[in-house]
Amino acid sequence: MQVRDYVARRLMILPLLIVGTSIIVFALSRVGGSPIAIYLSHEMTADEVAEIEERYGVNEPLPVQYLAWAAGALRGDLGWSGVSSAPVRQIFPKKLAASAELAVAAGLVAVALGISLGTFAGARRDRWPDHFARIFSISGASMPVFWFGILLLILFWVILGIAPIGRSDPGVFARIAHPTGVYTIDAILAGDAGALWDAIWHLILPAITLGYGTTAIITRMMRSSLVEELGEDYVDAARAKGLPERIVLRRHARRNALIPTVTVVGLSFGFLLQGTVVVEIIFRYPGLGRWLADAVLRGDRATIMAYVLFTSVLFLLINLIVDVLYAYLDRRVVLGE
Amino acid sequence: MSATDPTSPASMHSGTGPALAERVPLVSVEGLRVHFTSKRGVVHAVDGVTLDIGDGETVALVGETGSGKSVTAKSLLRLIPRPPGVIAGGKALFRSKMPCPGCRGAGCVDCGQTGRVGEPCTACAGAGCGVCGQSGRSTVDLLTIPEDELRDIRGNRIAMIFQDPGKALNPALTIRAQIAEVFAEHRSDELVSEAGLDDESGRLLRRAVRNRGRFFERRLGSLPPLRSQRRRVDAVLDGRIVEALADTRIPNPVKIMRSYPHELSGGMKQRVMIAQALACDPDLLIADEPTTALDVTIQARILDLIGELQARRGTSVLYISHDLSLVRGIADRAAVMYAGMLAEVGPAEQIFADPLHPYTRGLLAAIPTPGMGRGRLAAIEGTVPELIDPPPACRFHTRCPHAATACARTDPPLAIRQPPDHRAACLLYDDAAEVGERPEDMPDRSAAS
Repeated sequence: MQVRDYVARRLMILPLLIVGTSIIVFALSRVGGSPIAIYLSHEMTADEVAEIEERYGVNEPLPVQYLAWAAGALRGDLGWSGVSSAPVRQIFPKKLAASAELAVAAGLVAVALGISLGTFAGARRDRWPDHFARIFSISGASMPVFWFGILLLILFWVILGIAPIGRSDPGVFARIAHPTGVYTIDAILAGDAGALWDAIWHLILPAITLGYGTTAIITRMMRSSLVEELGEDYVDAARAKGLPERIVLRRHARRNALIPTVTVVGLSFGFLLQGTVVVEIIFRYPGLGRWLADAVLRGDRATIMAYVLFTSVLFLLINLIVDVLYAYLDRRVVLGE
Repeated sequence: MSATDPTSPASMHSGTGPALAERVPLVSVEGLRVHFTSKRGVVHAVDGVTLDIGDGETVALVGETGSGKSVTAKSLLRLIPRPPGVIAGGKALFRSKMPCPGCRGAGCVDCGQTGRVGEPCTACAGAGCGVCGQSGRSTVDLLTIPEDELRDIRGNRIAMIFQDPGKALNPALTIRAQIAEVFAEHRSDELVSEAGLDDESGRLLRRAVRNRGRFFERRLGSLPPLRSQRRRVDAVLDGRIVEALADTRIPNPVKIMRSYPHELSGGMKQRVMIAQALACDPDLLIADEPTTALDVTIQARILDLIGELQARRGTSVLYISHDLSLVRGIADRAAVMYAGMLAEVGPAEQIFADPLHPYTRGLLAAIPTPGMGRGRLAAIEGTVPELIDPPPACRFHTRCPHAATACARTDPPLAIRQPPDHRAACLLYDDAAEVGERPEDMPDRSAAS
């Protein structure tokens, strides 16, 4: 099957999957306690409670409630965010822009560093670069994010005092407009080099903290699959053709070693978004993760549901991208079988 | 090369050079030793192999699994993994050939219709000197030349085909891309001039053709002036690839070219491997069990194909096999290897008609023949000895029916037993005094014949 047909078919199935997901998300939100609890207080009378229940349709049968919520979600109305005292629709893009900026920064660094370090180590198996990469990646995979983040924070913020926390310097924030909410892009649009530097400077520590674990996993995966590929006959055959080692490594071994790595990379982008919860709290970074944490602590269902729905859809899309990329790299994969 | 006048073939035939050159082998392996380090000690995988391969000759290297035959072949191209492998000693002298100056590769009397003649030594112009070991031909030691010089030889002067074509082709690249690499690596100048781009081509295009372009160069290469030039080179390249594939009598080469390896059958893949190996008209083809992974019917066709292409181009073939009966029909000379050493070397016919080494005899006795009665096949008792720090002894003495005391402490020399060049390493044919043993410890000659 052609890649294009396959993507089209998967995209047609996608809405069904999203509907299914939304039903699960909605059902989960109704499992623990009343959804309107956040609006209630001890001083309210039973009549007042009944009035609120009436207003939010909690008395209706669940399917009706679901349809009302789903219709709202389709219109872009995801409810009122209690923690932000504003409609979810208004807050969500800003938080998403912040988290996406962080996750993409961390992800790009992790992919670039992980693949190159893994290749470097795998091509020098059991020599010192390999040992160094092993130590680096085992530390990364085994150190909890909150611990590593706090260590960095103590060193660079508390002791050295060179790294900032938060997302932006208030003065810089006020200086430029923020049409996209992604501060690096906003700074570039404004043509303000100082603001760009400020945005990057604020990103570095959280991105390192968030990306370290992913870098470690990608490094290990890349290293071991490269070692495996380098033992294959086609690598010897490529050398027997007289190709220089650089090309043998890049065009032959690495390309095949990337196949299993791609799956890991795809899935780890999803995990990066999850990881933002801890990292954003540590670095006081105002993104989706911290918003979600606040919402959970305060029982703000509208916010939680928006977050969960978004994450599920994101995973569906990532899986699609990974499958297509997989077929591109490994020609033996027959799509749609 | 520039020392000789290309217009007069006679200049090649002056002095003592040519007379010597006729007998000079293409490859002389001398005392090759390859070791592998392991936790338990040093494995002597190849322990003193001496072997010549003549021009246009097919030499079969026969032995069981683990005898070191593949390692011997791979070390000619320095393809053994290092570490753990180490080339511990010996030489592998290679005397490459060049297009015959008389007929410019078309084939004439001077070059025996092969279109290729030995390249004269650059130091003595063919007279014979210390550099070329009195051979008069340009000689390099494959085991010691720098890596980049070796790369010029790999795939160009010496090519290799592998046991399992399914594994020796890269699954992620098209057949075209894989064969193109050989031409791009060794024939890039020819491609550029055939595309008529000699005058206008710049360094960038040449680098692009050789696949040397860095990322930004590749982006640059997709812009108009370079793009059209590249397309012209690609068209020439396509022609070459189709030609190489068609030579292996593969059906529909244009379609094959665009396929991925997994879309082809085993026999087709091996044909692709052969096309790729013979793309640059190598002087030597190393065939490492090229038919082991194929069906019996395909085996015969692949062997025929190799034989046919070899005859047409005058290529020498080093044929690695564990199958003596297969070798019988195709080899000019055979070398029997056992536990890292040569047991017997000689003309193939003689080895099959009159094997000297007890191991060769055992192997030949184990080949079932049609019309043989039912019952057990003959087998050689015992197993191959461990090759970790082996003692000086005949490696076969633990399994040999003729073994005597001397066999366990003296390493028999690979001496000529039947003139002119049938050699065997066995004390059965040695004089006690010559190997420094007492006559009563020597194996019993009367029982052997």
